Amino acid sequence: MIKIVHVVNQFFAGLGGEEKAGLAVGVIEGSAGAARGLEQKLGDEGKIACTVYVGDNYFHEHKEEALKAILDAVGAAEPNVLVAGPAFNSGRYGLSCVEICNAVANALGIPCITAMHEENPGVGTYREFVNARIYCLPTTEATTGMSDALARLARFAIRLARGEEIGSAAKEGYIGRGIRRIEKTDRRGATRAVEMLLKKINNQPFESELPMEVWDDAPPAPALARVKDRNIAVVTTSGVVPWGNPDKFKTYRNTYWRKYNIAELKELEPGKWEAVHGGYNVAYMNQNPHYGVPLDALRTLEAEGAIGPGKLYPAYYVIPGNQGSPTVMRRIGQEIAADLKKDNVEGVLFVAT
Amino acid sequence: MSKELEKAGLPVALISAMFPVAQQVRANRIVKGVSIPHPCGDPNLSKELDARLRREIIQTALKALESEVKGPTVFSPPVAMGG
Repeated sequence: MIKIVHVVNQFFAGLGGEEKAGLAVGVIEGSAGAARGLEQKLGDEGKIACTVYVGDNYFHEHKEEALKAILDAVGAAEPNVLVAGPAFNSGRYGLSCVEICNAVANALGIPCITAMHEENPGVGTYREFVNARIYCLPTTEATTGMSDALARLARFAIRLARGEEIGSAAKEGYIGRGIRRIEKTDRRGATRAVEMLLKKINNQPFESELPMEVWDDAPPAPALARVKDRNIAVVTTSGVVPWGNPDKFKTYRNTYWRKYNIAELKELEPGKWEAVHGGYNVAYMNQNPHYGVPLDALRTLEAEGAIGPGKLYPAYYVIPGNQGSPTVMRRIGQEIAADLKKDNVEGVLFVAT
Repeated sequence: MSKELEKAGLPVALISAMFPVAQQVRANRIVKGVSIPHPCGDPNLSKELDARLRREIIQTALKALESEVKGPTVFSPPVAMGG
């Protein structure tokens, strides 16, 4: 019989609502709250070894202690699978479910499954983790979908515990993690590509083997009248930073931005700047940093009057863009936008490599 | 990133050699850069011509900021770009 640990928040453990959100990690032998529902769905194929609960606020305010206590409890119970949630549209709960799954999968090597609404912020974190041991099933927004969610979690948990082959997200119905799976087929790539192309040309439905990230549309910001009277700033993903890389950017997957002062500078002297980036050959940029931060041209245009005096922002913003996950880059964009707006910048020259 | 800046109401001139990708991800004001490792200029040119090309690219970017657009629009600097 399959052994499962079920992690829930204080509410779904039946301990209380918002007033109990500060509850520390606790363990109940067997099933309690939502775990009872899960156990019913498991039938005689599995049982809940214990129900682990944590308050929604406690988890996020004491993450290290909470994760440690949960790892201890799960490690002691030695389950075949960990189930967390379903969290529906509850943000704190969704995030903690995903973080707990990630910690358990990494530290204990146990497969984990959670479930939540696709708009739950936990889904963004789940996609960021790209952890092959974690699956997240979509649910309804509200708890009305509880019975169905528990049934699907139970079925999935049984399959995971048995070590069954889990197919693609599209086939199995979990939320895609962006993991490229290797599958065997006797039809070579060229044949499949031509077939797909013919379907596309004939407006027939087809399924990409490598779906691209879906990008939301941002309506264009209004144009600037008389750009020479506007405050302009440079933002770049080229990774051009002062020589020595003082803020220790990595060549890939960076998670923060910096701005560097150029107020007193007429140009960027080679040897005083370097490009930190693992996605392109940085030799040209190191020889001439203006390929990424075109300060010489900006000063020329300033002298000619195309950029008003004092209108160029006194620093440029940078993050090496290589392998930046869309979620992180969105956050970086929001943070830089807030910083620019605070200083009344009105337009951005963005150099992307 | 550039789209978050636009959402905050800041027009962005995106200088990139990967302008088809920029179009695909629906950046709005796209300025053709020279190549991926050196978007703002061309090391194959003389120092003077390289600096002039860079000035043209930035001037095109400033014009892009002055232009109303309805969706992804590519602005090309008015010079021939080398290799």
